[in-house]
Amino acid sequence: MTDDIIIRGKGITKKFGDFTAVDNIDVEVRRGEIFGFLGPNGAGKTTTIRIMTTLIPPTSGEIEIEGHTVKGLDDPVKEKVGIIQQHIALDNDVSVRENIRYHAILHRIPRKEAKERMDRLINMMGLEPYLDRMAINLSGGWKRRVAIVNALIHDPSILVMDEPTAGLDTQSRHMLWKLIRELNSHGTTVFVTTHYMDEAEELCDRIAIIDHGKIIAQGTPEELCRELGSFAVEYVTEGSDKQYRYFHERSEALQFRDSLPEGAQVTTRNTNLEDVFLELTGRENTQAVQEVEYRI
Amino acid sequence: MSILADSFRVAWIDLAFIKRNILVVLVTSLVTPALYIVAFGYGFGSGAEVEGFEYIAFMIPGVISISTMTSCFNNVAQKVMVQRTYYRSFDELFLCSMKPLSVILGKSWAGMIRSIISCTVLYAIGLIITKDMQFSLQAVAVILLSCLTYALMGVVAGMMSNSHLTLNLFTTLVITPMSFLSGTIFSLEALPEIAQGILYVLPLSHTTECIRSTILGTEFPWISLAITLVYAVAFVLVSRHLVMKGRNRYG
Repeated sequence: MTDDIIIRGKGITKKFGDFTAVDNIDVEVRRGEIFGFLGPNGAGKTTTIRIMTTLIPPTSGEIEIEGHTVKGLDDPVKEKVGIIQQHIALDNDVSVRENIRYHAILHRIPRKEAKERMDRLINMMGLEPYLDRMAINLSGGWKRRVAIVNALIHDPSILVMDEPTAGLDTQSRHMLWKLIRELNSHGTTVFVTTHYMDEAEELCDRIAIIDHGKIIAQGTPEELCRELGSFAVEYVTEGSDKQYRYFHERSEALQFRDSLPEGAQVTTRNTNLEDVFLELTGRENTQAVQEVEYRI
Repeated sequence: MSILADSFRVAWIDLAFIKRNILVVLVTSLVTPALYIVAFGYGFGSGAEVEGFEYIAFMIPGVISISTMTSCFNNVAQKVMVQRTYYRSFDELFLCSMKPLSVILGKSWAGMIRSIISCTVLYAIGLIITKDMQFSLQAVAVILLSCLTYALMGVVAGMMSNSHLTLNLFTTLVITPMSFLSGTIFSLEALPEIAQGILYVLPLSHTTECIRSTILGTEFPWISLAITLVYAVAFVLVSRHLVMKGRNRYG
């Protein structure tokens, strides 16, 4: 159903010189879902997000938001999207209150309405005690909260979050997960990138996995696990590292377990998203090629 | 949505910074031009005449011209570079629906305001201490144009620099030599013709001529005004090109 698709990326490619950061990908995000975009470091997640939010132009391909092809930096459809960038982007030499107010002004929200929204969001994020502090004096977690208020001040119907919990403590992560679910339950579509599998499993209705600029899998977490094989056997035999095998039938997994040599350490369990991710992107830490920083 | 109204929205955060730091802004905007007047005007030029005017009257329009450049350029370029590279807040402007021209102009206003403060004080001092200078609305207009031109140049430099180091290099190699060599504190006519030809390429030579002629009441150099406008348009086009290509932003 076309109407169900709130964000559609068609054939998005981004090249930096000879390096292809994003390679002809198609992404569809359905209205009202939490869509996870997973990939190792340097896989192309942030570049894709930056293209989808018009921060950088694609080499080819186009983005549709609410069925409208995004054209240019001043396209009004951008007002439907709120973005929390991976790097916290605040003006450090003014106060928290001024940072938030600035975003309300940039989004042309009438003064009275802006005040109401500011009060509600500030209260929701517990920012009252910090409003008159300079942004530079806040910890990373509190800066992230300010960035969230900034992203939500214009009441977007789509929230794009680029690794929102990177560098946060456990409490802040859980607070953010709760917030994402709450916003989603009120109808906000969420597009979130992460490389934390527990986060994706906890939050996402559907997932796309990107590696070396290409989407290599897409579906619900359950579908992806089922595709790999719902039953995992994790084992270590003498002189070998930990190994993994996946099976579609429990009986096959048990049969394999029983065939392993005596003395092998074996765990039989359900396949999880981390298994899927590592099988698809590689278990070795190959230190994926870093995305070229797009600057002069 | 109007480009001008949006540009003031963009400028709001920089104006909030000025409001918060008004004393520091005033001091930093006034000390250097005051030193120019004392050192060059009273120190070296006391009693001298240039082009038929008291040296101090000849020099103050030049110092005003320098102030339009250094104050606008430094403030705008530093802000844009820091917001792009260190705060990463420059990107936030493009997460809203905003025309590139609104952003370019918006980033210019705060630098212009700081420059206008110092130019106003310098102009007022000049009117008090020498009767060769006169107040004119044309002077105000060309000072504003000059401020805008150098603020736009600051936007370009701020977008192209990724660190204080590269920005300082630009200041050392371009801004400082231009301050001294563009007929600001001495007449270009004192130089050989070849040197004059080279120095007339620089925008500061032309803004200085415009400002000086309107303040001293001499014939207005329309060609200099046209060249200043060409520079302003060129800076707008270059910065717009950088914005559209996404090259202004941290990747």
